[in-house]
Amino acid sequence: MSLPPGTRVRARAGDPGHHTRLPRYVRGHTGEIVECTGEWPLPDDGARGLVPPRVEPVYTVRFPAAQLWGEGDHVVTVEAWESYLEEAG
Amino acid sequence: MADAGEGGHGAGKGQSVSRVHDVGGQSGFGPVVRDDDGQPFHADWEARVYALSGALRARGVFTTDEFRDAIERISPQEYLAAGYYERWLAAIEALLDRKGVR
Amino acid sequence: MSGQHGDLAGDHGELPVAARVRRLEERVIAAGLTTDAELDAVLARLYRDASPVNGARMAARAWADPGYAERLLADGNAAAAELGFGGAGLSYRLKVLANAPGLHNLVVCTLCSCYPVSLLGPSPSWYKSLAYRSRAVREPRAVLAEFGLALPEGTEVAVWDATAETRYLVLPVRPPGTERLGEDELASLVTREGLIGTAAV
Repeated sequence: MSLPPGTRVRARAGDPGHHTRLPRYVRGHTGEIVECTGEWPLPDDGARGLVPPRVEPVYTVRFPAAQLWGEGDHVVTVEAWESYLEEAG
Repeated sequence: MADAGEGGHGAGKGQSVSRVHDVGGQSGFGPVVRDDDGQPFHADWEARVYALSGALRARGVFTTDEFRDAIERISPQEYLAAGYYERWLAAIEALLDRKGVR
Repeated sequence: MSGQHGDLAGDHGELPVAARVRRLEERVIAAGLTTDAELDAVLARLYRDASPVNGARMAARAWADPGYAERLLADGNAAAAELGFGGAGLSYRLKVLANAPGLHNLVVCTLCSCYPVSLLGPSPSWYKSLAYRSRAVREPRAVLAEFGLALPEGTEVAVWDATAETRYLVLPVRPPGTERLGEDELASLVTREGLIGTAAV
């Protein structure tokens, strides 16, 4: 799955019991791909000693603050591994 | 989703850890205090902890992912009460214990 | 390993912290996992190579040279290497965010406190604080106001949370009235806060 800039994506909900780098404040929310920042090993695997770790594209994803907290006129971007996201359509 | 692996070093074995480190958007932490004098370390031991973390990671004793995970496994009470480098220290100690370094 | 309630890190918690650190050093050196020389070298590298002067020089070059500015925004790593930063290359992906009239960028790492140390020097305590990490994404304007930065009416704010392998540097807007300044003088205007986004420059 390669996600071009502008693609609407939803950060997956769910709370893994292991180390992950998707902050809780974006989970379940819909944002937009800004760009792909390359392919990187998944920290969820690295922290658990899974060898080899999965390597995935990582995307900068932008969310309107109002989406995240119901208020605020700013935007927040996070960098998310591909498996943290699903297409929102 | 329960943690299928070992519990955190602050939690009992088998319990999920709360990962209270994930603070984005949370309230109640007050104003941003700017008492920074520009010095990277406020005590010699902090610099030594910084050096230990860097040296052990360079040697491959643990990875950055494992290090962050160990910090995140600190219990909520300890995490919130501890200073920044105290968390690093606790994480390194826990990692070495877990890896069987005497 | 659960230890007593209130003890930090269980069994290790009873000692004063400096003694704990000394014991830890002895433990890892005895186990052959590091040496005094390696520990010293980590700190020496930090003090020698990591400074906000580096980021300031990149900003000043971008202001003085539009071609460099373009390259800086397109590929931060290559542009940093042009000025000799990062030894054999930065160990992270560097993304430079240009402020503009009407747009202000702010950088945070909510999950820990990731930060481009080589270009900004060791991170300030406030950047690592729970207050900054929690509030920067939720109420950036209030945080900026605490830093004494009041943005003009209508300025958009973009907050960048460094959750993966990218480290961010803000390129401030060149202050007015600086047209005659050389690069060194321009660099001296740029602060670490300006490069993080908690100051205008």
